[in-house]
Amino acid sequence: MTTETAQQAQLTAVLLQHEVEQFYYHEAALLDAHRYEDWVLLFTEDTHYFMPLRRTVTRRQLHLEFTKPGEMAFFDEDKNYLEIRARKFATGTSWAEDPPSRTRHLITNVHIAEKSGDELQVHSNFLLYRTRLKNDVDQWVGRREDTLRFTEAGLAIAKRHIFLDQTVLQSANLSSFF
Amino acid sequence: MAETSVVDQLDSLVSLERGEIDRRIFSDQEIFNLEMKHIFGRAWLFLCHESQIPKRGDFFEAPMGTDNVLVVRQKDGGIKAFLNTCSHRGNAVCRAEEGNVRNFMCTYHGWTFGLDGELVGVPGSSLFYKDKLDRSKYPLRKVAQLESYRGFVFATFDETAPPLPEYLGATGRLGLDLLAERGDMEVIPGIQKFTVKTNWKFTVDNVFDYYHPQITHMSAFALGLIPAPPDNYMEGGAKSETGANLEVPFLPTDLHNVVMVGEYGHAISGPDQDALEVSTGVEPFAWRHNDETQARLGRHGSRVAGHPHIFPTTWVTAGGQLSLRVPREPGVTEIWWFSFRDKNASPEENAALLSSHIHFFGPAGLLEQEDGENWAQSTLQTKGLRSREVPQLLKMGLGTSEVVKDDGLAIIDAPINEHAQLWTYHSWREWLRNPTWEELRERTVPHDRF
Repeated sequence: MTTETAQQAQLTAVLLQHEVEQFYYHEAALLDAHRYEDWVLLFTEDTHYFMPLRRTVTRRQLHLEFTKPGEMAFFDEDKNYLEIRARKFATGTSWAEDPPSRTRHLITNVHIAEKSGDELQVHSNFLLYRTRLKNDVDQWVGRREDTLRFTEAGLAIAKRHIFLDQTVLQSANLSSFF
Repeated sequence: MAETSVVDQLDSLVSLERGEIDRRIFSDQEIFNLEMKHIFGRAWLFLCHESQIPKRGDFFEAPMGTDNVLVVRQKDGGIKAFLNTCSHRGNAVCRAEEGNVRNFMCTYHGWTFGLDGELVGVPGSSLFYKDKLDRSKYPLRKVAQLESYRGFVFATFDETAPPLPEYLGATGRLGLDLLAERGDMEVIPGIQKFTVKTNWKFTVDNVFDYYHPQITHMSAFALGLIPAPPDNYMEGGAKSETGANLEVPFLPTDLHNVVMVGEYGHAISGPDQDALEVSTGVEPFAWRHNDETQARLGRHGSRVAGHPHIFPTTWVTAGGQLSLRVPREPGVTEIWWFSFRDKNASPEENAALLSSHIHFFGPAGLLEQEDGENWAQSTLQTKGLRSREVPQLLKMGLGTSEVVKDDGLAIIDAPINEHAQLWTYHSWREWLRNPTWEELRERTVPHDRF
C-alpha cells in the first residue's frame, strides 16, 4: 500500500510538472508568433511583472545585487501596462518591432519550488534569442520566479520576476517580453 | 593621391552657414581619438550625484572618456575621484560598479589603497622592497579637479580648466537647476545602463530633436502616452508604405520653442512651459508653480520645458532624470540613466514619478525603445563609401532666428528648429582644435543670429 501511495504522489508530481511545462511552451509559442495580446491574457488582473536592475557588486554585498520594487527597474508592470505594451506593437507604428524581430524563447530548468492552495511558486531559466533586420543579434539569459495560479481559465501568471544575467545591458532596447 | 585625413579637414566638417555636417565624424577612429583627448580629456564631466555615495567608503565607478574613475566618499565627508588602475601594474583596484569599502585592494599583488587613494599597504615591503619603496609616491592617480554643483559631482583631468560654475555658465547651471529645484533630490537606487551601436554624437544630437517624436514615437502618441490634440495633423505628408497619410500629430508646442546656447557648447532646446501645459492639458511642472521657484529659475529659466544639455554628454530631462551618453568606441555608446526623486515627496507622488521614469526612457521605455535603432542605422550608413559623402542636414529654421542676450543667456524663441544641434557641432569642432580655455570660450560665444 505504502509503495502505491508513493507512486501515486510521484505520478501527481509528474503530471503537475507536465502541466506547468506545457503552459510555458504555450506561452513561449505565443510570444514567438508575435501574439502579444493573447499572451497578456495569461496574466491575472493583480499580476506584477518586474525586471530589476542588476549590478556588479562584491560577494560581500551580493544582497545589493538586484534593485527592489520601489527602486529603478527595466520593467515594473501591472496588467494595464502589459496591455499597453501589447497594444503598442499592434499600432503599426512601433518601429522598434517593425520589421518584427525574430525571437525564440527557450525555457528550461522548470522547478516547482512550492505549492500552496491554488498557487505554485515556479522557478525557470530562459534563453531569449532575438535577431533583427539583416544581422542584429541579441541574447538574454536569466532566471524567472513566477507565481502561477490555478484559475477557471487554467493556469495564469500572478507574478513574474525576471532576473537578467547581464548588468550593463548589451542591447539597444528591450522590446521583447520575457 | 593619398587619402586626406578627416582631421586635416576640421574647418569643413561643420558648416554653420549651410547647416551641414560631414558624416565621417560619426565613424572615423582618428576623430574619436581626438575627441577623447581634446574633449573628454579636458572637459568637466558628470560623475554621479552626491546622494549615491552618502556614507564614508561609499563609491561609484564613473566613466571619464576612455578612463574609469572611482568616486569615493571620504572620512571627512568630502569626495575624491581617482583612476581605477593600480599604480603598480595597472590592474583595476575595484571590480564592482558601486558599493561600500574600507579600502581598495588590488587583487593582483595586494597593493592596498585608502579611501583617499593613498597607498597604505604593500605586501613584503620590508622583505622584498627592503623598505625602499616610498609609498607616498604611488597613490592612485587623482582627477585634476573635482567639484559639486548643487549635489551633481563633476571632475576634469585638466588642472587649467576654469572652475565648474564658470564652465557651466548660465545655460549649464540652469540645466542642473531645473532638476535641483524640484525638491530635496536624491538618486533612486539603480542606474540603468545599456549599449547602442551608435556614435555618441547621435545620442546627444537627439536630445534637442523635437522634430522626431511625432514620427519615431508615433506609437506612444497613438496610445495616448504623449497627449496630442485629436484630428490635428502635420502638413507636408508622411505616408505609410501603402501610400496612406500617416496622420502625424501636430502639437501647439511645435510653434513655441525656446532655445538657449552657451559658451563651451552647452545648450537647451524644447517647447516652452506654457505651450506644453496648455496643449497637453496637464501640469508636469507643478513643482515650479510657485513664486520662489520661479524667481530662482529666473524669468527666462522659468519658461523652459525642454531639454538642457551640458557639453559634452549630460542631458537633464523634463521629468527628473539625468542621462549620460558614454562613448566607448566610435560606433558604440552606453546610455546611463540616473533617476531622481524628492526625499520629501509622498509615497504616492514618488510611486507615480518612478513609474514615469521606468515607462518613458530606458531600454524598455515606451519612448526610448524606438530611438536606438534610428541611431544605429544612421551610424551604420556613415561607413558606406558613398553614403558617408552625403552631408548631414541641420537646416531647419536656419538663418531665420534672432538671438536675444539677457541675464547671461543667449535665447532664441522660434518654432521647432535645429539650432541647438548645430551649436553643439560647432562647439565640438572648436574643442577639437585644442585651443586654450580662453580661446575656446571666445570661439563659443553665441552668435547674434542663427
